[in-house]
Amino acid sequence: MNDESSTNKLLNDEAGSIQLPRRIQSKYIPGEVYSIRQLTPSVKEYTVELEEEISANPGQFAMLWIPNIGEIPLSFADYSTRTVKFIICRVGLVTTYMHRNIIVGSRVFLRGPLGNGFTLCSLKNCLLIGGGCGLAPLYYLGRVLSMKSCRLKTLLGFKNSSDVFYVSEFSEISDTYVSTEDGEEGFKGTVVDMLENILREETFDIVYVCGREQMLMKVVRECLAKSMKTEVSLERTIKCGLGVCGSCSVEPVGLRVCRDGPVFDGRLLLQLENLSKNDREEICIKN
Amino acid sequence: MYKELRNLNYFCRVDSPENLSIDLSVSLSNLSLRNPTILASGILGSSYSLLKRVEDAGAGALTTKTITKNPREGYANPVFVDLGYGYLNAIGLRNPGADNFSKELSKAKKNIQIPIITSIGGNSMEEFIYVAERMVESGSDALEINLSCPHVEGYGLDVGSDIKLTQQIIKQLKSTSSKPLFAKFSLHQSRIDILEKYIDAGLDGISAINTVKALAINIKALSPILSNIVGGLSGPCIKPIALAVVYEIYREFPDIPIIGVGGIQSPEDAVEMVLAGASAVGIGSAIVRKDLGIFVEITRGIGRFMLDNGFKSIRELIGYIHRR
Repeated sequence: MNDESSTNKLLNDEAGSIQLPRRIQSKYIPGEVYSIRQLTPSVKEYTVELEEEISANPGQFAMLWIPNIGEIPLSFADYSTRTVKFIICRVGLVTTYMHRNIIVGSRVFLRGPLGNGFTLCSLKNCLLIGGGCGLAPLYYLGRVLSMKSCRLKTLLGFKNSSDVFYVSEFSEISDTYVSTEDGEEGFKGTVVDMLENILREETFDIVYVCGREQMLMKVVRECLAKSMKTEVSLERTIKCGLGVCGSCSVEPVGLRVCRDGPVFDGRLLLQLENLSKNDREEICIKN
Repeated sequence: MYKELRNLNYFCRVDSPENLSIDLSVSLSNLSLRNPTILASGILGSSYSLLKRVEDAGAGALTTKTITKNPREGYANPVFVDLGYGYLNAIGLRNPGADNFSKELSKAKKNIQIPIITSIGGNSMEEFIYVAERMVESGSDALEINLSCPHVEGYGLDVGSDIKLTQQIIKQLKSTSSKPLFAKFSLHQSRIDILEKYIDAGLDGISAINTVKALAINIKALSPILSNIVGGLSGPCIKPIALAVVYEIYREFPDIPIIGVGGIQSPEDAVEMVLAGASAVGIGSAIVRKDLGIFVEITRGIGRFMLDNGFKSIRELIGYIHRR
């Protein structure tokens, strides 16, 4: 399971060069919350103006520090010239504090970008699949891919219509389809059911997926059956964010989400002992 | 690049065929290491798969994370600060606990060829003994007592500050296991008169130094950064301190193997540590900048240094500056 060649294959191209010295951006950059949008009862979008420029790629993440409260990993939902967007689902201590207390003008601190992002291709036929809050890194990815003349289709899956968000944003950059399990909006069923229908008629050069690990696994299986390349963004408990503490290890392969990922070749999922219990979407709904 | 590095067996090859005659292997008590690089405690050593990756990356031996009797979640974020000149951490001895880790260790012993040193923590004699027994049963090749973690109440430095208790722990652990026993000390504990007592109690080797208690404040946030406020300082800024400690220990106890730890980021740093008296070098926070390639870089670099300076065996270099 953990032989060298299989572990090596699972690191995407950029991650393949991680052994080389590189500039690590791990100092805190102050930022000010510029705007906040309530997207659903438990999801907000925060736009933060940073004091310094960074070079964030889609799929990379930042550690957001709220002094005296805590620090959490967040994917870049969008980035351009010192302006970062984060989509924050209320799931734990820090996100609940943010939802209640962070207002326009609040000061926050960010270290990043960290980790390895998605492979950015040009002129390709790409499919983006997001489940709930997992859609965050896919929006920034979609925006960058659309500028690289890729043909994009997006599938967004939600539990029910009150959880639906970011559809109009995705519609501006891609051909976008929504599924809800209760069928109140878009396709009735899961995003995986919707994918099965689409794959009967279409194929894609690459499929990018982010969401619950159960969903990722089903998507990867569907896509591999049609020989399509997949990239998934994984979530684990991230502590140091720099690959030294080992808290975010993906077992049994020993890849670190914060340093070797968070984006991996989808085939990694087929090697996991247990799928992650980190389940942003479900916890989010409970809250 | 990644694949190429992983396929090398002993990482002691430099480009020249002459290098085949260079011997990088060292001994630490009864442990034989293919090269002198050791994964330091606290870094990546909490599961079999992570330990295996570090073996594949070329380390000569592995030290696990400090294992306590019960699982520990550790502290809330932030737990790690990059200061530029070094790193500050207060992870809080996060570990899966002795019973869970013993399964990882058993798996590791079946599949990992290089020596595994288990770092053990405790807040009482009973806890140290419980953890040590579990680790030895599961195949640990050696034990390293954590007597110096600076940021967890009741553990590490709090135990290590009690000289009599430490002597008793060493005696007790030596009487229950035949495995080599190392202890990791901080700068402040590395007084010769104290170390002498521990060596008399049966300690087989010394790991020095642990991180140094320190604090980082962000003035824009008007706040300390770590959730635990204070943490342990590692990285390049503590290297000269570690060198002095290793130098003095070797001067007084030349027959006791020393694992030199503290700020080793390059082959040159490692050579300095060996010249000061270390038989092996611990690699930890250098992984932030150089990732796992650091083990190959250091081993190859030491080999190149030996070639350039006419040394055949790294053992000729250990404590060399004491014999000038």
